[in-house]
Amino acid sequence: MASAVIELRQPSRTIKILKALRPRSLRQTLLVGSLALGGFLWLFPFIWTLVTSLEPNSAELVTPRLIPNQITITGYQQLFSTIPFARAAINSIGLGVVSTFLQLLTSSMAAYAFACIAFRGKQFIFLCYLATLMIPLQVLIVPLFIEMRDFHLIDTYPALLAPTIASAFGMFLIRQAMMTVPQELSEAAMIDGAGHLRIFAKVVLPQVRPALATFAIFAFMASWNSFLWPLVIVQSSAHFTLPLALAELHGQFTTEWNVVMAGSVLSILPILLVYVSVQKYVVQSIATTGLK
Amino acid sequence: MSIFKSWKRGVIAALPLVVILGGGAGLTAATASASPTVTTINYFTYTAAPDHLKDLAAIVNAFEAQNPTIRVNVETDDYADYFTKLSTELAAGDAPDTFELDYQDFVNYAASGSLLNLGSLAKADKSWNPAFYAGSALNAFSYNGIQYGLPEDFSDVLLFFNENLFKAAHLAYPTTSWTWKQEMAAGKQLTNSSTGVWGLFQPVTFNEFYKALNQAGGQFFNASKTKAKFNSPAGVAAAEHLISKLGTTMPTLAQIGNTPNFDTNLFESGKLAMWINGNWQFAGLTKVPFKWNVVVEPGDTTKASAVFFDGVVVNAKTPNTAAAWKWVDYFTSSKVSVLRRVTSNWELAPVANTSLESSYLTATPPQNRAAVFEALKAPSLAPVITQENQMETFVNDALTNAADGSGTVAADLNHAATQVDGLLK
Repeated sequence: MASAVIELRQPSRTIKILKALRPRSLRQTLLVGSLALGGFLWLFPFIWTLVTSLEPNSAELVTPRLIPNQITITGYQQLFSTIPFARAAINSIGLGVVSTFLQLLTSSMAAYAFACIAFRGKQFIFLCYLATLMIPLQVLIVPLFIEMRDFHLIDTYPALLAPTIASAFGMFLIRQAMMTVPQELSEAAMIDGAGHLRIFAKVVLPQVRPALATFAIFAFMASWNSFLWPLVIVQSSAHFTLPLALAELHGQFTTEWNVVMAGSVLSILPILLVYVSVQKYVVQSIATTGLK
Repeated sequence: MSIFKSWKRGVIAALPLVVILGGGAGLTAATASASPTVTTINYFTYTAAPDHLKDLAAIVNAFEAQNPTIRVNVETDDYADYFTKLSTELAAGDAPDTFELDYQDFVNYAASGSLLNLGSLAKADKSWNPAFYAGSALNAFSYNGIQYGLPEDFSDVLLFFNENLFKAAHLAYPTTSWTWKQEMAAGKQLTNSSTGVWGLFQPVTFNEFYKALNQAGGQFFNASKTKAKFNSPAGVAAAEHLISKLGTTMPTLAQIGNTPNFDTNLFESGKLAMWINGNWQFAGLTKVPFKWNVVVEPGDTTKASAVFFDGVVVNAKTPNTAAAWKWVDYFTSSKVSVLRRVTSNWELAPVANTSLESSYLTATPPQNRAAVFEALKAPSLAPVITQENQMETFVNDALTNAADGSGTVAADLNHAATQVDGLLK
């Protein structure tokens, strides 16, 4: 007897997704609908930015719209002729990378000390370090400026980097992750003759990659978006960062919004790339550290 | 071996810091080795960026060619962030040698002692010609009788009118002899609800109120600036003059709402016969499909036009006073600077001899560009105190309350005057 083999044709991947998304109840319909609306509202400013960047300058640009009346790249062309945009972008990228590296280095080392090494006064020093988070930058601006002036570092890259070398937030985030690393691993390494530096680099640090990636994003974004300190310390256009360069596009009485938006679109792209490349670590980190 | 490796790791870890800090030190070393015979001064500006950096560079180059021992280092920022940076630098004792200030900020900075007295430098300079400037402009940058700044540019508020609408209504165009009475009468005659045309638009705001107060013969403060005087009968007349237009010759505040450029769009669409606005609107109106012109704004008992000045000042702590004086003098009164401003459509220089700006005066529209300089003869300058924003809020709130009828004009102005008196203590 020939066996009848009934082959069930597997639905395509698209159909599987659509079936999964298909609302099974009114509640689900409302949920999907509100999420879609929320997503649209969140995306709207970005779409408006992009649309405005592709239109010629006019008074109508202040009216929000999703579809451009006329598409042109004059905004992008003017961007590069009006301000040193390319130089500012290179400055922002370079400062972002170096600042992120320095913060990862100092924060992870400080976090290791607070998480894995017992020493007298640890809790007190930790709380003092954390307390610095409560001091806003505006309070520190003038003393920092005086400090940079006394070191003859005004309008230099070191002055732009100096306040960003350490991060109390980064230390706290990475410490939380390091505290979840089993102590037995460190103890085993210690028995094998490893010192703190080796345990830090070879045992603990690899275990907290998600937290490092998450903090790297925060640090890079903070450096990328930093405005107040570069505003005060930078004097020449050669050291402009992107936020400073974009601010220069605002005239005293009028602003060419299509040019400003063109600059905004281009300045979003690198940070988007950074996030996409480390996205999976961010999700892992949120799961393991309980960061909200 | 392990010690060597840990040393190596330490060196590698410290390398980025060494490179960064070494780069900074290298830069400062290079700067320090510049020629000692050349004096470099800094000039901080907000009006040049983003459209006039090349024009400013041309003026700087011309100055440096004439003064080979002086170099001018230009720093720019947008207006919104300019004062954050300037205040920080002043607080740290590291402000630029010369910088730009608008009139309102000039008063506060002069009062705080941050500015150098230019009077003695001017007297010692045989080539300085105070008659070069329009008198009212030079006076604007004098504080307590001392010259602390030089006027750089100005703009002013005029009465714009749509000639086509006046012709269609068989009305004579506004002239310099007009008063509020003729202005309101024409505004009412030109308002036509069936065609959607309004006769006269003037915002009901602090900026219009202090000017209208001057036009009615009143003053904002007493002579010693210890008491508000804008709640006088002249102040009430000024507020009533502004509010009486709402719903009569212009839309109500509710109809205007928060629509950006409401009045600009109304005039450009040919639906507004008379419009109180500034000469900065000229460039945007070149392509409108009707003929228009300007005239000095009518007053009530007195002529007074709102004028906005920018000036250049010298840091009181600069070590380069002579070089700084030469730069501010050249930037505000050289023919190179004045002509460059005119040809590049930068803000106008407030000069007494308007033939230097003939290319601006002969350009059209409007035909009567001479009104821009006529308005300088009777300027109405903004009242200035340290808590400027709060003062403006009190007055704007009083005008809004009076406009929506929730109080009488006199009562609302009295209340605002009491509030402003509190700021003067």
